Amino acid sequence: MLESYLTWLMEELAAAGSSLLDLRKRVSLWYLLSAVGFAFVVFYWRYGKHGWQRLLPYVSPKVWLSRSSRTDVGLWLCNRLLLALLIPKTLTHALWISGLYYYWQKQGLTPLGLGWSTTWVMVLFTFCYVIADDFSRFFTHWCLHKIPVLWAFHQVHHSALVLTPFTVFRTHPVEGGLFFIRSLCVQSVLVSVFLVLFPNQVSLWQIYGVLVTTFLFNVLGANLRHSMVVLSYGPRIEKWLISPAQHQIHHSTDVAHYDRNFGVLLAIWDRLFKTWLPGSDQQTLKFGTGRAIDRSGVIGHWWIPMMDCADVIRHGVVKRCRNLKKRLTIREP
Amino acid sequence: MKKTLLSLLVACSTSVIAAQPYEFGVTLQGYDGSATSSVSYGGQIARHALHNSLKKVAGTGDQAQMNTYFSSTEAGRVILDPVSKDGFPVKQSSIDELSSGKDLLSSAYDGVITGWPGNPTGQELLEQLVDAAAKTKAGYDPVNGYDYVQLISKFAMGAVFYNKAVNHYLEEKLEADQHPNNEAYKPGTAYTGKEHVWDEAFGYFGAPANGLSLSAKEVVQITKQNPEVFAKADANGDGVVDLKSEMAFAHAYYAASVDASAGTNYFHTIMQAFVDGRQLISDAKGKALTDAQRTELKECAAVIATAWQQVIAEAAFKYAGSVYADLEKIAVIEEAHGDVSKAYRNYVKHWGELKGFALALEAAGRDLGNAQAGLDRLIGFSPVLFGDAQVVALDGNGGFVQANAGPMQEYKLNMIKVQNLLAQSFALKAKLNDKTAGMSDVLEQLNAAAQSAEND
Repeated sequence: MLESYLTWLMEELAAAGSSLLDLRKRVSLWYLLSAVGFAFVVFYWRYGKHGWQRLLPYVSPKVWLSRSSRTDVGLWLCNRLLLALLIPKTLTHALWISGLYYYWQKQGLTPLGLGWSTTWVMVLFTFCYVIADDFSRFFTHWCLHKIPVLWAFHQVHHSALVLTPFTVFRTHPVEGGLFFIRSLCVQSVLVSVFLVLFPNQVSLWQIYGVLVTTFLFNVLGANLRHSMVVLSYGPRIEKWLISPAQHQIHHSTDVAHYDRNFGVLLAIWDRLFKTWLPGSDQQTLKFGTGRAIDRSGVIGHWWIPMMDCADVIRHGVVKRCRNLKKRLTIREP
Repeated sequence: MKKTLLSLLVACSTSVIAAQPYEFGVTLQGYDGSATSSVSYGGQIARHALHNSLKKVAGTGDQAQMNTYFSSTEAGRVILDPVSKDGFPVKQSSIDELSSGKDLLSSAYDGVITGWPGNPTGQELLEQLVDAAAKTKAGYDPVNGYDYVQLISKFAMGAVFYNKAVNHYLEEKLEADQHPNNEAYKPGTAYTGKEHVWDEAFGYFGAPANGLSLSAKEVVQITKQNPEVFAKADANGDGVVDLKSEMAFAHAYYAASVDASAGTNYFHTIMQAFVDGRQLISDAKGKALTDAQRTELKECAAVIATAWQQVIAEAAFKYAGSVYADLEKIAVIEEAHGDVSKAYRNYVKHWGELKGFALALEAAGRDLGNAQAGLDRLIGFSPVLFGDAQVVALDGNGGFVQANAGPMQEYKLNMIKVQNLLAQSFALKAKLNDKTAGMSDVLEQLNAAAQSAEND
């Protein structure tokens, strides 16, 4: 029993470690390095031969060895073990997509029969997938900030006092479950509809087994979003694509920066929801929530959100009871 | 010019190596008999002939005849299939010419089969199927939706051939203390222990010895005894096809059939691994295999076991698609108030093939993970019948108990799920009769997301 448990534990941890060489993972070594290369070129172009100094925070031991950074890694590994137990694997998506694929056909949806080549279908499907995926990420993120019960869990991500690429894993397991449901919904609906409309032609445009946009996003410095390196894309590009500097604003403790820049890849959603702010190479920001959770470890990051969530629900119930009582009192003769 | 000649030479030498037949000389040290070949798998070919013949008689419902080819070991049994045809004469006409004293039942899987009511062992299930077939007209039970000819044949191939090869000869018999290579298999034989163990597994696959020089289409046509491929089949040119070494049976046929339709390479992958493994044993020149040699041999065995399992799963995938198509046809005929009896017969036949292959996957002691429970539940104990009923259990007398299973047409959704489950669990490549519109390929691409909880 113990032996098989330990084997499972080691396998899961080894799988987590393999992310460092897996091109499908944002924290793969290749992307960590390509981010440096990309930033180096931009800084050299903007600031000349001393531009590289702006990259120093990326490798600062003070940042990487900080308690906040260690918590990032702790949460990454512990969440992985927990989610491996909680979230059903692979076939869940297949079952949902199968069910919806069958349902659409029963509702009368049929193949379009446009005679399009598989390449065009791939391009269209990839475009729709990227848009749907990016918007659903934006909207989930927006909800995580606007709905108090959800913020109780999302504060884990914002409790980081310093940002490193591994802050991407700084997530509460409940939030991990929400991300799973988000991807399940988007993929099930989109894939099932496309399979009915374009049977045997649906595929994603990939590079080295990675979605083309994800690949480009990661190669061109996605890891800088969670780092102490400040890189703006400039005002024109930032209207369309979220830069590392813009995401860092999202993490800022400054009240003026609250609930800004929820986007992942595209900035258009933030502009639509009036939450867009441009970034700047010169910005100096502080990160964290300003609460006790900022300085707690893995257990605290699992536990405090649960307590906060219970508080939010309790306050909500008490408030509703009071309102009800008030209304009943007014009606009494 | 030199480069062209060189590449031609390399290509030729490669094709010569690739086309090596399954023929190997005697290596047993101290052997002083007259045999020049150490290859022997007559017993396995006898069982193939028994299976083919059983399939023939299962369609008559004659229990005594079925038992002759299923559980009896009596002498004098005539081969009912394959038999000589115009333009395709076959050398043997009796089972004894291949091997005497052989039956199918005693070699069948004796572990539990969860996909059939009552959790019988593989042997018990085969017995049940044969008994039940005898109570029907021509092996067809329209009330419960069973085509016993298909169920018996497809399951027997798994429970006997696949099981004995993968679960027995290519598994435990490869250990150092089992039939060592520095000893005769039995006193007086011309082959060593390991040589014969490997040969027996090869025999169960059912490929002709010259399989590497045949295309997948030719292998298929050999099984169908097409006179046009007779010259290819008759490798030694003696004017008859020797069932022992020149015929294609069972899963070798299915592997080639999948390859011929989909352009995959299952047949030659398995065949090449068998030849490579046997060459390795031959190269040991009658000495005990070292640990390193056995490791290499086990790698060949793993290639065979994986591809063999995929072939069975590919066949199940294909018939799940046929069941789906049959249900569509039934719906169309019903809507037009036509006669559904022929479409229903096909539905039951294809379900029998699907179920037989799915049960075969369970019949070799290999861990299928959650795929086993998934297949059992999605396929069920019978097809969904008219009146939306499905067999759900056995009663105290061994009769089938039916219960409501939801609308018959909804069973199509189960077939889509079955195809996805098979494609994902066994990494299928051919995916013939795909009714999922290519879903498993997209799912594979999307699985990149994995399990990490990543924030934005």
